[in-house]
Amino acid sequence: MLKMMRKAVLALGIALAAQGALAAEVVKVGMSGQYFPFTFVKKDVLQGFEVDIWNEIGKRNDYQVEFVTSNFSGLFGLLESGRIDTISNQITITDERKAKYLFSNPYVVDGAQVVTRKGSDIKGIEDLAGKTVAVNLGSNYEQLLRAYDKDNKINIKTYDTGIEQELMLGRIDAFVMDRVSSMALIKEHNLPFVHAGAAFETIENAWPLLNNEKGKRLQTEINKALAAMKADGALKAISEKWFDGDITSH
Amino acid sequence: MIRIRNLVKTFNGTPVLNGIDLDIAEGEIIVVIGPSGTGKSTLLRCINLLEQPDQGVIEIDGDAVDVGHASKKDVLKLRRNTSFVFQNYALFANKTALQNIAEGLITVWNKPRREALAEARSILADIGLADKENSYPAALSGGQQQRVGIGRAMASHSKVMLFDEPTSALDPEWVDEVLQLMKRLAERKQTMVVVTHEMSFARDVADRVLFMEGGRIVEQGPPQKIFAEPDDPRTQAFLRKVLRR
Amino acid sequence: MNFDLSYFIELIPLLLRYLGITMQMALLGLVFALLLAVVMAVVRVFRVPLLDWLVQLYISFFRGTPLLVQLFLLYYGLPQMFPPLVGIDAFTAAVIGLSLHFSAYMAESIRAAIIGIDRSQMEAALSIGQSPLMAMRRIILPQAARIALPSLMNQFVDMIKSTSLAFTLGVAELMARAQMEASSSFKFFESFLAVALIYWVVVVLFTRLQLRLETKLNRAYQR
Repeated sequence: MLKMMRKAVLALGIALAAQGALAAEVVKVGMSGQYFPFTFVKKDVLQGFEVDIWNEIGKRNDYQVEFVTSNFSGLFGLLESGRIDTISNQITITDERKAKYLFSNPYVVDGAQVVTRKGSDIKGIEDLAGKTVAVNLGSNYEQLLRAYDKDNKINIKTYDTGIEQELMLGRIDAFVMDRVSSMALIKEHNLPFVHAGAAFETIENAWPLLNNEKGKRLQTEINKALAAMKADGALKAISEKWFDGDITSH
Repeated sequence: MIRIRNLVKTFNGTPVLNGIDLDIAEGEIIVVIGPSGTGKSTLLRCINLLEQPDQGVIEIDGDAVDVGHASKKDVLKLRRNTSFVFQNYALFANKTALQNIAEGLITVWNKPRREALAEARSILADIGLADKENSYPAALSGGQQQRVGIGRAMASHSKVMLFDEPTSALDPEWVDEVLQLMKRLAERKQTMVVVTHEMSFARDVADRVLFMEGGRIVEQGPPQKIFAEPDDPRTQAFLRKVLRR
Repeated sequence: MNFDLSYFIELIPLLLRYLGITMQMALLGLVFALLLAVVMAVVRVFRVPLLDWLVQLYISFFRGTPLLVQLFLLYYGLPQMFPPLVGIDAFTAAVIGLSLHFSAYMAESIRAAIIGIDRSQMEAALSIGQSPLMAMRRIILPQAARIALPSLMNQFVDMIKSTSLAFTLGVAELMARAQMEASSSFKFFESFLAVALIYWVVVVLFTRLQLRLETKLNRAYQR
């Protein structure tokens, strides 16, 4: 028994020494593991857009990135109690959150997006007059469109499901959906659709950090890596791996 | 050897023992008789503090305990100087006959296990149940259970054994084997106080018979005297009733 | 109907890797919950002054609030008040939470079982000179165990299933993995059916164990 304990202590010592020698800082990144294709598990492997980005940041900043999966409802608690350093789960920057946490620069830009068939003459929201445009039931895109379409020139239809089938069949000319989801959809099912113009009513997603010494330092370091990744195209490449396009900029 | 002075017990304000005085000599066999509900069982239960008396002094070998305000230590001391045989046997349901007898030897008297089991086996042989050592109470007849109950009381080698109507719950066919065992203990001069309705046992075995009524010892004396020519009319009335066949 | 059988069959061994964590939480939780429950049941039966009142408050709180809320309080809430508690990892916090929660239920089951034992058993133990505590340990609790077993087993089964809440603290247990696999494959039915079957089989195995235990404990009561 004593012998075993001595062995264990020795092993622990070696492990600690080894870790000290590498000196890579451990950064714990929380995510739900349930948001395809951002963070998900397939065949027991955690992967996705968020995972790729953090592995890249880890490489550049010499972090030992440790992913912590938890139900979404637990993520902010983990951050708040200091058990993770940040959350990488498409966290949208809001005023309430900004009051409490530091945020990195945004790495994903999302928003309402007009989607149409390849080769369509619709190049943006301004071309929708006289067209039939679909939105999903329960989304606020109907109000957004109506607010834009003061003269009632757009024929707006709401659908419960099957919005992409309708566009494929030509029963509608376009639909409005959130930008990132539509990119995932097009990529996943290899649909012959394109984005018409830029997203409107955009929101930005970023990594929240605790407002303390470590948080401030990480914020600077992460922003630096993010800027470098934007500059050399690494970020775009990751985006295109998972989405039909670049979701990381406007 | 044992002196009880002014033992008082009330249940919800109703007096059950009205200041009992009793001396028990070493080796003496005392049988307590009397109508139901006159405090006979309560007297026994107060002697080993299964019932908390309101006041009184119990002295064993010159060691007096104020039982109205007994400390935990006093309570344990009194209980370890007495042993108790219950009307419903109250054998430990989760233990075999052997374990029932050995339990106190091991846990209270701290005997080594092997020694305790050997002693328990000799007691089992003594009470004629050597072949039942691995039987659980549920598998024993009423008479056998009560004999184990007596065996368990014997194991503590206490100064006095208290019997609370040991045959009342038994089918008639088992009464005799239990009484025979008690007689053998009496012959060995085991000090005992027996509450019973078995008048023949009282007559044949007792050194002294106590007649209780209304929480008092009304009359006491040798069995020949009590059964043949009781002084008190209440004793006379009681005996007339129970002896009429 | 469009059931992906091969996905379902492939998923089961993947999920089984995480059954170990789930069972570790449940079994450790069981041990600590039982220890706590026995102590609390005894405190209540003996009506120990002050402690009895505290135990009643404890039981009332842990039965009166959802387990998830307790886990959040423990893991996310307490460290805000007492910073050193951040050192508790998610697994430990889950075990502590499960133990505290289920000990409240188990204490009441054990107390009910103790009360159900004939008074004369305690009196007989006292009459041979045992202290009340020793009588409790040697005579009463072993008998109460037999009576309490079915309801304790119910609570243990409940505890096994409740370990799935630990994912909210970040413990990668069985349910967590099923949820994550399902969210990438979108095969919810197959994933959750697989995880349901695993829980079910485990519970059935423990129920068998219970029957064996019951037979053993009933041995003393056969005529």
